[in-house]
Amino acid sequence: MLNSYLTQIRMNLLLTLRNRMALFFSFIFPLIFFFAFSQGSGGGNGQQIVNLVLGLGVLGSGLFGVGMRAVQDREQNILRRFKVAPIGPGEILVSGLVTVMALQLPNMAFIVFLAHRMFGAPWPPQPISLLIFVSLGLFAFASIGGIIAALVNSMQEGVLITQLFYFPMLFLSGVTIPIAIMPAWLQTVAQFIPMTYFTTGLQPILRGTESLLDNATAASALALTAVLGTFLAAKLFRWEKEEKLRPAAKFWLLAVLGPFFVLGSWQMHAKTNIAKAKVLGREAQRSRTALIRDARLFLGDGTVIDQGSVLIKDGKIAEIYTGPAPDAKSLRADAIEAAGKTLLPGLIDVRVHLSLPGFPINDPQFYQNPDQSFDRELAAYLFSGVTAVKSAGDQPDMVGRHQAAIASGERLGSELFPDVKATDEAYQPALAALEARRAFQAGRTDLLERSLVQQVIPRQWFAQLKDAMKESARPEIIMNPLAPDLARKNLAEAYAAGRLLVVGTESGYPMVVHGPSAHRELQLWAEAGIPPAVALQAATYNAAKLLRADQRIGLIRKGYDASLLLVDGNPLQDISATERISTVFFKGERVDRSGLFEQK
Amino acid sequence: MAPVIEVSGLHKAYGDFEAVRGIDFDVSEGEIFGLLGPNGAGKTTTVEILEGLRSRSKGRVKVLGFDPEVSKRSLKDRIGVCLQATNLPDKLRVHEALEWFSAFYSRKADCNKLLQRLQLWGKRNDFYSKLSGGQKQRVALALALVNEPNLVFLDEPTTGLDPQVRLEIHSLIEELKANKRTILLTTHYIEEAERLCDRVAIIDEGKIVALGSPRELQERVFGQSRIEVVTAHPMPVEVPVFEAVAKYSLSDDCKTMVVDSTRPARTLPDLIKWIDQKGLELEDIHLKRPTLEDVFIELTGKKLRD
Repeated sequence: MLNSYLTQIRMNLLLTLRNRMALFFSFIFPLIFFFAFSQGSGGGNGQQIVNLVLGLGVLGSGLFGVGMRAVQDREQNILRRFKVAPIGPGEILVSGLVTVMALQLPNMAFIVFLAHRMFGAPWPPQPISLLIFVSLGLFAFASIGGIIAALVNSMQEGVLITQLFYFPMLFLSGVTIPIAIMPAWLQTVAQFIPMTYFTTGLQPILRGTESLLDNATAASALALTAVLGTFLAAKLFRWEKEEKLRPAAKFWLLAVLGPFFVLGSWQMHAKTNIAKAKVLGREAQRSRTALIRDARLFLGDGTVIDQGSVLIKDGKIAEIYTGPAPDAKSLRADAIEAAGKTLLPGLIDVRVHLSLPGFPINDPQFYQNPDQSFDRELAAYLFSGVTAVKSAGDQPDMVGRHQAAIASGERLGSELFPDVKATDEAYQPALAALEARRAFQAGRTDLLERSLVQQVIPRQWFAQLKDAMKESARPEIIMNPLAPDLARKNLAEAYAAGRLLVVGTESGYPMVVHGPSAHRELQLWAEAGIPPAVALQAATYNAAKLLRADQRIGLIRKGYDASLLLVDGNPLQDISATERISTVFFKGERVDRSGLFEQK
Repeated sequence: MAPVIEVSGLHKAYGDFEAVRGIDFDVSEGEIFGLLGPNGAGKTTTVEILEGLRSRSKGRVKVLGFDPEVSKRSLKDRIGVCLQATNLPDKLRVHEALEWFSAFYSRKADCNKLLQRLQLWGKRNDFYSKLSGGQKQRVALALALVNEPNLVFLDEPTTGLDPQVRLEIHSLIEELKANKRTILLTTHYIEEAERLCDRVAIIDEGKIVALGSPRELQERVFGQSRIEVVTAHPMPVEVPVFEAVAKYSLSDDCKTMVVDSTRPARTLPDLIKWIDQKGLELEDIHLKRPTLEDVFIELTGKKLRD
């Protein structure tokens, strides 16, 4: 019995190694993929490439390996010969499967090795979990391929139907196209696809952040599909092409996908796997290695480096180079050319009111879904290069929820700090809020003409905003007694007295727009005679100190979060340069600013 | 000793269509038993039921003491089967094919001896795809023998092969018979059945229409032989009435005469004597028995092949 299995596997291996096409698809193809992707991505992300190549390998060799071989052998009357020997379909299918594993697993280990040698990708920290999970995936996809093979009548039909499974799994599972950028309905559809669960399991296991046990649901679903599929494929096995199958037998295919139908239906409500897929997509972005080259560096504590480069790796600042930039390729990093630009720590706004819109608006829809407003506002901060904010007076449970969604990476937005009493005495003049209040009372609309403001206010509301401003103008009421001159003078005195200055904008009040107001605040400080470097420090290092997060943010320093703002020009000479945003980095991710407001 | 194969009252229906409608026969040890019939007569169905590949609808079947429907594996382990139109992977070497298949069986033949016996020794390292049709068929025969089976099923072993190769396969089968193996042979080549089989069952439309040794069958159907006489000079049209002669006919040039006789041993000397008397100078005389083909046509009204 064992001997017949072993001989079967040995011969399968022998025949595969003699088959040029099979060799190409099993060995050369993944390598081509590997090198093509690593060239395309500039080598900044070895682990991501491994993830992709392994995913494609498991899916492709699983689906096509065992099943198509059986169809071909049946079509060429080879299986007929086995039919009269004392060997059953189970033995043929299982040894086919073991053959695929024996071919693919060493191949995959080689890819991991290559990525380690060439791109410095770390060794998988959980090799046993990885081995088991990859084997389960191969087993499951092979059994789906096996059941397709059992149901089709010809090679042509087999290839067609297998491709019908292959392509959706390839494109909708998140292995090639991130789930986060799909429309919500497609994200739900993706939860019915087995490959999705393989992808959301493989990535964290490869990285070592999760083990097999953390992915027990996905692993069991794969295992169940594998066992069910192999069992049914053996039951429906046909030795000869002349044998016909009852048409109703085709429904067995659905039974094999049953576990994923159950998972998908559950996910329609729970959505946990969609969230996980988004987090994984985020982590993949954050784990990229990039070198920002030849920028002017404002380190946050007032220090300026005229020509310097910053290496970002795994979400942190890995190295700071002074003078001419090193070669990005030798550091296995994506190069970001920043000559003529200034790199600052991401700005921090220590006083914002997320429950308030920041502009007068009569649209009841806006107030119906405060969660949506929070999302949009936190996106507006990140869009404006403000990478951390502290909430003031918002509902704690909502703040906690959004803080968690951003911290996990499920959503992309500015890092949110809850409203806890600051112990340090710090001076927050909030000049922008004063200016806005006066403008609002007077019905003045000039603040809406600023470019950054126009970029963050949703189009559908912008048109009506000026009218709303005029309607709600109350020139007769003096709401704030503090005159601008006095406020500027107070700030200058506080500076002179050496008090800790921080930027807190009170954003959310009418015309104190979430995001751009931090920049306006800096400009008003400069007008009050505060040196740009001092103002910038108040919006970075000092603010981080107030948030008690200065061991992690607020500085460009090795080991700190890579939450950075790259702007055109030199804000140390002209503070308004902070608004001319070139790139925002958040925890190592190069933020796709235009996509921030379109997150699903 | 119990027969190797016992079949009684065998029926097989596919839905409304009855492929086999009550077949009975036994095959004893060391016998070559032939199933002869046109395509669609029920030969293959019958054989596949015996091999354990198909279930039956009704009847009793015992092969090597096993019920093929119940003890499929044990039966398959003990028999050798050579199916028509089977293939092996192109890139498989001949000796690997034998090793591969012998791994499935509990009893194993010496593969090297088998290769030599089937004249495949020189081809043992060749890929299957490089073999000629006859060589492929010899590999198929070899695979049917890897488990030293006592009972071998040969399903149309020479179909599609050229006459030379067919003769080679025939002598191999005769060699198997000499080794005391029982063989069940299906064929639609009359000569093959005549030459190889100890007994033949003629199947038509799911039933056995005749069963016996090829000789018995011929005699049972016709009970007479045919004598052909060729002379140098034309024979006279008036032929005397010989004893036991049913029918005679003369060719157009009157030099060839065909005589059907129920007692050829008596008729032959009568004929020679008559030709001598007439001084016709005998050129050729021979005795022909009716072929199985004639028997088949007589019994079924059909030709075996179109």
